[in-house]
Order: sequence, then C-alpha cells, then structure tokens
Amino acid sequence: MAIVIREASGLDLPQIMKLEIASFANDAWPEATFHSELDAPHTYYILALEDEDLVGYAGLSKLAGSDQADIQTIAVREDKRGLGIGRQLMDALTLEAKTRGAKEIFLEVRADNSVAQKLYKVFGFKQIGTRKKYYQPDGVDAFIMKTDIKRKYNSEPVVLGIETSCDETGVGIVRGNQLLANIISSSMDKHAIFGGVVPEIAARAHLEALTPVLNEALEKANLTLDEIDAIAVTNGPGLAGALMVGVGAAKALAVATGKPIYAVNHLVGHVGADILDRGELHTPTIALLVSGGHTSLLLVRDLLNDVVLLGETIDDAAGEAFDKVSRVLGLSYPGGPEIDRVAKDANPAAIRFPRGLTLPKDMEKHRYDFSFSGLKTAVARHVELAESKGEEISIGDVAASFREAVVDVLIKKAISACKDFDVPRLLLGGGVVANSRLREVAKEQCEANGIELRIPPFSLCTDNGAMIAAIGAQLIMAGRAPSSLNFSAESTLPVTIVQS
Amino acid sequence: MKAPAASTRIAEYALAIDTSAGTTVAVLSMGTVLAELNYLEPMTHSERIGSAIQKVLKDSGIQAKQIATVVVGVGPGPFTGLRVGMAAARYFAIGARAELAGVCSLDSIALDFYLANPGQQPLLVTTDARRKEVFWATYSGVVDGIPVRTQGPAVNKYEDIQTFVDVSTMATTELGVRAGALGQIAFAQGLSPQGTNSEITPIYLREPDAVPSKGKKVSG
Repeated sequence: MAIVIREASGLDLPQIMKLEIASFANDAWPEATFHSELDAPHTYYILALEDEDLVGYAGLSKLAGSDQADIQTIAVREDKRGLGIGRQLMDALTLEAKTRGAKEIFLEVRADNSVAQKLYKVFGFKQIGTRKKYYQPDGVDAFIMKTDIKRKYNSEPVVLGIETSCDETGVGIVRGNQLLANIISSSMDKHAIFGGVVPEIAARAHLEALTPVLNEALEKANLTLDEIDAIAVTNGPGLAGALMVGVGAAKALAVATGKPIYAVNHLVGHVGADILDRGELHTPTIALLVSGGHTSLLLVRDLLNDVVLLGETIDDAAGEAFDKVSRVLGLSYPGGPEIDRVAKDANPAAIRFPRGLTLPKDMEKHRYDFSFSGLKTAVARHVELAESKGEEISIGDVAASFREAVVDVLIKKAISACKDFDVPRLLLGGGVVANSRLREVAKEQCEANGIELRIPPFSLCTDNGAMIAAIGAQLIMAGRAPSSLNFSAESTLPVTIVQS
Repeated sequence: MKAPAASTRIAEYALAIDTSAGTTVAVLSMGTVLAELNYLEPMTHSERIGSAIQKVLKDSGIQAKQIATVVVGVGPGPFTGLRVGMAAARYFAIGARAELAGVCSLDSIALDFYLANPGQQPLLVTTDARRKEVFWATYSGVVDGIPVRTQGPAVNKYEDIQTFVDVSTMATTELGVRAGALGQIAFAQGLSPQGTNSEITPIYLREPDAVPSKGKKVSG
C-alpha cells in the first residue's frame, strides 16, 4: 500500500529485468545494457517498492559539466498504474536532475504511448521534435519532449480556489501557505425542510452565490484579479451538478484573465487545510474526513504524491446518519448540532447501539471501512418499539448513545490506522468535526496513544475554497504544470488523483 | 495598471454563450459574428466550455479583455447544462470586466427561423425538456432584429400546448439554439444589461424535484 522510493543497485537487476521485459516487450533493453546503466557514474536509477515488491523504476542520465539531463526510462507495473507511482518517480528524478545542476530535461517517448505523454505533460514536458521510426522492430516514431527545470517558485503564488462540490459555495485566496480570504455561502437552510441535501437545490444556490462570494473574497484579501497568479477548482469527488457550476465558472475565469487553472481533488483539499492553519503540513499523517457526504480514512505520506484511501463508508456518511437520527427524534436539520445539544449531560451508555463493521470478521475485510446504516435503523427501531409499548423515551439518552456509537467507531478505526502504519499523527476534517464529543474522544484517545491530534479551525474543516487554493499553491510550488482546460467534473474522483 | 471600467470601453465586442441544449459560443463585433462554435452533444458542457471560449477568441483574433459584453442564453433548458453556461458567463464577465446580458435561448431559434423565412408569420418553437415535455414559446415575427415573443417560455407536454395556442396555424422549426443569434438579438436590444452580474438568472420553469421530509419513520 505504501510506496517506498530508493536508489537501485546491481543487486536489483533480476527484479528490474522481469518488469523491463513485461513493460517494454520488443523495446526492452538487454540485461548487459541495463547493468552498465546502473553502474555508470552519470546515471541515477530509482525503484518504487511496495512491501519490497518492485512496482516501478525510472532512470536519469546527466553528464558532468552539461546542463541537460535525460530521462532514460520509466516503468510502472501494469496492475499498479494510475496510482500516482509514475508521478512519484518523476518527482524524484526531477529533484535529482535539479540537484545535479541540470537546467533542462529531455526524453523520448513512443508516439503511440499517450498515457506516458500525459504524465510528462504534468511535469511541464512539451514535444519539440519527432524521431521517425525510432522504435524497432515496431517502426514506431519517438516524440522528443523537453521541460525547463523551474527554480523553486521564487515567490509565493497567490491562488484563488473555488469549491462547489456539495452545499457550500466557497471562494478562498491564499499566498503560498498563508490564508488571505475564505468566504463561504451555505445553502444548508434551504435543505432543512427536506432533511438532507437536495442536489438540484444545492446547484441552484451555487449559481446564485458565485458572484457575491468571489467579490467578497477579493475584497477580504484586498486584491484585484490581476494580482492572482492562478485559479484552482474542485473537480471531484462530489455532487455532479454542483461540481459543474464551479468547474464552468473557474474555466471561464481562467480564460477571461489568462491565468493557469488547476483541477484539484476535494478530499486532498481537506487534508491541505492544515497548511493554512499551521503554515505547513506534517507528514506522514492519518486523516479522518467526516461530513454529510464523506466518511473517509486516508494515509497521507506526501500531500501531492502519496495519498492512499484506507477505507470509507460503505453506506451512509456519518453526517447523514446524524441528520436521519435527528429526524427520528423529532429534532431539526442539520442533525449534528441538534444531537450534540440534547445529548449534553445525558447518558451515553444508556443504550448499547451497534458499532458498524467492528466484528472480527468485518475487521478482516473492512478494517478501515465504516457503516452507519444499521446503526440508524437500530435507533429508529428502539424509538418505534418504545412508542408502540407506550413507553416514555429519553431523547437525550438515545441521542447520547447514538453519538457515542458513531464517535467510538470513527476514532477507534482512526487510531488503529495510526498504529498499524506507525503514523504518530491524526488530522480531522469535514463538518462533523464540529461535534463536541468527537473532538473530546479524539483528544483522549490521541493523548493515550502518543498521537499528535490536528483539528484545523472549523471554517477550514467544512467545505471551503481556501483549502482548494492551498492545494493549487502547493502544486505550483512543486513545479507542476497547470491542468488542461478540458478536465471534467468527476463525482467519484479517486483520492489518488490529486490534480486532474 | 488597472484596466478601464467597462462603461468607458467602446461596446464593440461581445462573447455569447449558451448551454441550454448543446454548447454554443460566439464572438461578435457590433452584432456581426466573427467566430462561432457549436457542439450538439447535450452532456459535455463543463468539459467543453473553457476551450470553446478560448477557441472562438483565438479564431476571431479578439482578446478576452476586449470583450465588453457577455451575452448568455438564460434558457429554458435542462438545468444542469444550462447552469454551466450561466456560471461561465458570470465569471467570464467578472474576469474580463464586461457587462452581462441575458437572452431567452428560444429567441435565438426564432431569429434564425425568420432570417431563413422572412415575413411575419406565427411560429411555435419547442425544445426537449425531457420527461416527455417540451419547453416552448410562440412568436409573431421579427421587429428591428428582435423576435417578438407572443407566449411563453413555458414547459408542457407537446399535446397540451394546443390548449394555449392554435398549433395548426403555426410554423415549426427543427433549428437549434445558436450563440451567434443570441449575440445578434442582444446587440439589437442595445446590449443593455438588464441587471447586475447576479441579477441575470436562468429560466428554470420547474421547481427542484424534492419532497419535504414526511417524518421520522426510517426503519421497516
């Protein structure tokens, strides 16, 4: 699951050759060639390993005295593609090329390998020529590509971030790691009579809020659009129709102002929020993101290159469970604060509600997954049964016991992840972080287990544009090329794709 | 240096955007189309919109900051797509410091019909509203470059339109929405914005599909 990058040696040759032949078939290098490549002083070969298993490798060549470097090769095992391993390898090679004093990096790529070309474009490579029929015996052309090595971004980029994935319209502005503005307009009140977020109502509200939220953010940051360096926008995961409002707006703003655009993953944004709170993100960290739309447990070794989804809810999000139980108890929407209110001073041990996916067999298959649907039904049954018998129920005790069951599972699984992966840090994000009992138990359990607990301020925990801007700024400072204008809104965007 | 405010610019160039059906964008100069792009697919608005605007600007040789008015088709049309163009128009207008003007999308179909069929004759324009219904409006002709709408826009089953107008006496058309035509109508109207950026709103005609929560029973 976790990918380790290290330099290759001659001892790794047998493993490398197996992957070389599997990856390149007719173009594979002979073993002797690879051996001399590994040995040469002007080369740098690295491996990507998962539990000691070779899942990818890459090599760089840089002659002393030259200011040009060449990417010699890069391969990722077929079953491990699309997980960001290629990007990690490229990041490591780019860094090495920079360290060895290169100003440009060149590479050749098969004209028919569009996947590799796409990866290189992410790192700013552009096609500068073609070598006809370079790859034999297939007779395929090679594209020659080049990138200029960017000095670390010499000033801190000012990025405007747009977020419309659920029921919050957010525009935030950051300068590097620093928060300048974070304006949020929520349509929560409009969903209240429906007991949950209605996608069409949320999307309509986004369109209404777009202009005032942007104007307010610029005013708060005391900036004009001319002073913005780039635009970032959430393109998933989230409600499709809601995402599209932000995506359409952001693209048009980018074209109108001539600024580059970065399409950013919403969940990674929640992790990045901590940068704005303390000025940097400490990794590795486990991140527990809990809202009305998500309940996800992430392992973050590197914000831009190595974010792994350990588990998520298999049915309702935790926030959704709070809303539904609140309704069962005759309380209002949103449920979280209401449950918190009536549970205060009540008995959390009054009723033993089920803890989803915590039985030994579930812990094997769903160690880091969550389920709140059964819990919600158990609460409803409890209330209905009492009513049918004409018994009086204590709403406070039911609410407290329900809340305890949710918090118990969330924190237990998060702490397990910290221990299992030997990560001494837990970051909380998402609207449910407002829940007082969740914060209390997280604090107790983290202290008991020697884990550092991070909870950014609430305005950075709920959905917001500032966290999206923060990821945009990180991408720019890492030298990443902007997104193409053709990216789409992806309601199920996986957490491994930080930038689309 | 700050760009001049929109009001001090000569209102020469306009960008027109409509996503009420497919994705259509155009750049116009004083009501004449310089470049236009029409994608018919009804589902790819958010993918297309950025590069489509970029392409018509390039094709027309006009820079974003030269655009003084953004004309947007305000529908009616399927909501999710319609909003992409509305959102893009709002933020383009802010980014280019341009005014925003809204035109009923169906009007562009009427204009194109009357340009192809001169004369004052009654016209029924319909577009697909899904759920076996159509968005519709009727027109009597074109006066000073502006289609004269007599009824609508509204949404009904096609067969029910008969209860509002005598369909048998009216011409119909297969033409679709075209951004260039929207831009021409807006120019004929004097490119006057009918409100601020936020006040140009979509014509939805339908309430969101949602039923208020009935109560608390969730089990069984």
